[in-house]
Amino acid sequence: MVEEFVVVSDLQKSFNEHKAVDGVSFSVHKGEIFGLLGPNGAGKTTTIRMLSTVLVADGGEITIGGHSMQRESAAIRSIIGVCPQELALYDDLSALDNMVFFGRMAGMTGLEAKEQAMANLKLMGLVDRAKGKVAKFSGGMKRRINLAIALMGNPQLVFLDEPTVGIDPQSRNHIYENILGLQKKGMTILYTTHYMEEADRLCNRVAIMDGGKIIAMDTPHQLKSQIGPPEKVTLEEVFLRLTGRSLRD
Amino acid sequence: MKDLKHVWFIALKDLKIFTRDRASVFFFVVFPFLFIILFNFLLSGVGSEDERLEMHVLTREPAGGLSYQIIGTIETRDESQLGPGQPKIVWDRDYDAARQAVDDGDLAGFLAFPVDFTAALTSGKPTELEIFADAANVNVRAALNGLAGAISSQIGADRIIINASIALLVESGALAPDTESVNRAVQQMMTDIITAGASGAPETYITFRTEKVGDVEAVNPANFVIPGYLVMFVFFAAAVGSESIVRERKNNTLERLLATSVSRESILGGIFTGSIIKGLAQIIIFWGVGILAYNVDLGLSPSAVIILSFLMVIMSAAFSVMLATIARTQRAAASLAVITSLTLAPLGGCWWPSFLYPDWLQNIAKVTPHAWATTGFNKLMLFGADFSAAVPEMLALIVFTIIFGGIAIWRFRTSAT
Ligand SMILES: Nc1ncnc2c1ncn2[C@@H]1O[C@H](COP(=O)(O)OP(=O)(O)O)[C@@H](O)[C@H]1O
Ligand SMILES: [Mg+2]
Repeated sequence: MVEEFVVVSDLQKSFNEHKAVDGVSFSVHKGEIFGLLGPNGAGKTTTIRMLSTVLVADGGEITIGGHSMQRESAAIRSIIGVCPQELALYDDLSALDNMVFFGRMAGMTGLEAKEQAMANLKLMGLVDRAKGKVAKFSGGMKRRINLAIALMGNPQLVFLDEPTVGIDPQSRNHIYENILGLQKKGMTILYTTHYMEEADRLCNRVAIMDGGKIIAMDTPHQLKSQIGPPEKVTLEEVFLRLTGRSLRD
Repeated sequence: MKDLKHVWFIALKDLKIFTRDRASVFFFVVFPFLFIILFNFLLSGVGSEDERLEMHVLTREPAGGLSYQIIGTIETRDESQLGPGQPKIVWDRDYDAARQAVDDGDLAGFLAFPVDFTAALTSGKPTELEIFADAANVNVRAALNGLAGAISSQIGADRIIINASIALLVESGALAPDTESVNRAVQQMMTDIITAGASGAPETYITFRTEKVGDVEAVNPANFVIPGYLVMFVFFAAAVGSESIVRERKNNTLERLLATSVSRESILGGIFTGSIIKGLAQIIIFWGVGILAYNVDLGLSPSAVIILSFLMVIMSAAFSVMLATIARTQRAAASLAVITSLTLAPLGGCWWPSFLYPDWLQNIAKVTPHAWATTGFNKLMLFGADFSAAVPEMLALIVFTIIFGGIAIWRFRTSAT
């Protein structure tokens, strides 16, 4: 019996008449990596921002860890971690200062925050740069710090919004391993990407989004089976079949 | 409790970022003092030496009269010997030229001994010292009156002694009782008294004090310059600090904060507190340097000066947060900060004393918090006012704080993401 950790039904959000998210419903099981897959502009980030309490939805229901978004957003904030699509770092502070600060904001004591910051930096292979100013880091290193901050305070659910955009393949592989490691520790992960092979490799289940709507949702294996032998086709081809467009357009 | 912790950590984080940024530290701390050093230097010519009260004295008597001796003893020969606040006494020679100078506004006033001064004095007839002064210049008029009063009361006292001495001399037969002999004796004694101490301390013949009249006295220019620049730079630096608050929004860290357990009120409170702490550091430096290096006098009520400074810091922090919630980009915040600071400062009397402005301009200036703050400081530090006199200015700054803070809270609630 799977436990539904995130339940979203009929979520709506418009920006000046434009429907960015248009009636999205899905649920995420506890302990799984759930992928929101879709081209740029599909509405993935807008969905994540509403789920992470930052943006108020125009309509629909969100329940996370049994807490209702409308009534208990504070309770939700205390069990989530967010790795935003855009880097959200203080450039003038060191990596360690950034992590300790957000750890304290997540309610940790100074000592706890420091210990976990060092542990997370180790995970990301950046221990030797702990005291270095973030402004001097490479794009890939900043991405890793951005992800590491999301893990401060041991959230039960993390939102990872395109965490691997614009980084070298080596850093990317490093991040994949970390994410799988987090799942092993029991974390639930909501992952967005527009790289189909990435979703295929990491996610237990994916929802394919386009134009603010979910157009398909299943395990990668099942989605691929619908159009051919799963080991021969890609999610890329699934998307093409569903929309008549290539994902990279 | 948890909220207060969050407020504190956010403020600390902002301060940490601030101290890493050399340019902004320079702007906050060093830059204001470059201005203070410059303006204090420029204004110091106006402040002390030139504003020393000058009293012009002349006599219409023919040469040899007693008035020559009197003026000779009180005339200032070496200005460098004068103590602070002591007036300089100038001996003018030409009565008509002096009158013309007063009429033309080139001279504030003078005191003249009449043509018959010696004759009247020796014969016991009444005579009058003439004061000719610009009616508008209360300071000079009061000082000349004081001088005239001192001269006549001294002479009056001398007359009593001389009369008694003459009576004794006549009675003992040492002096012929005819008018001419008596007059000659009186004049001799008068001369002896006036010039008695001439070699020692001539100024002891006539001592007088000038009353302080009116608003402005010769002051340490720093008493005006330091509060003026304090007001300008506390506001300026806080306003410029709004740029870093906008940066927080632009670099997505604000969004990240909003997804943590921190309340919006704590985020705003933290930003506000950080700005206040920077402002407090500024006023400590301003007053510290002002008192130690420039001998600034905080006046009768230092506590009112401190409270006014503190309110200035809080008001500026509220303005800073408000600006950050209004400006869309960092660049817009920075330009708005510079524009508002550089127009409000001169209008509000930070560069020149606003009490010298025409009335209509003073009224317009009341829309600036700067004008209230500088007026408060001027009252306390230039005009010798006490605490209660600065209460309206304190209340005005509180009202500005409430307005700016209210707009900031409203904008932050509705606009942050
Ligand atoms: N703050 C915003 N204001 C206006 N339009 C927005 C805003 N955020 C997103 N959008 C629009 O909503 C749509 C979905 O955007 P987004 O959720 O960022 O897509 P994705 O993350 O899938 O690339 C896009 O058309 C985007 O331009
Ligand atoms: Mg996105």
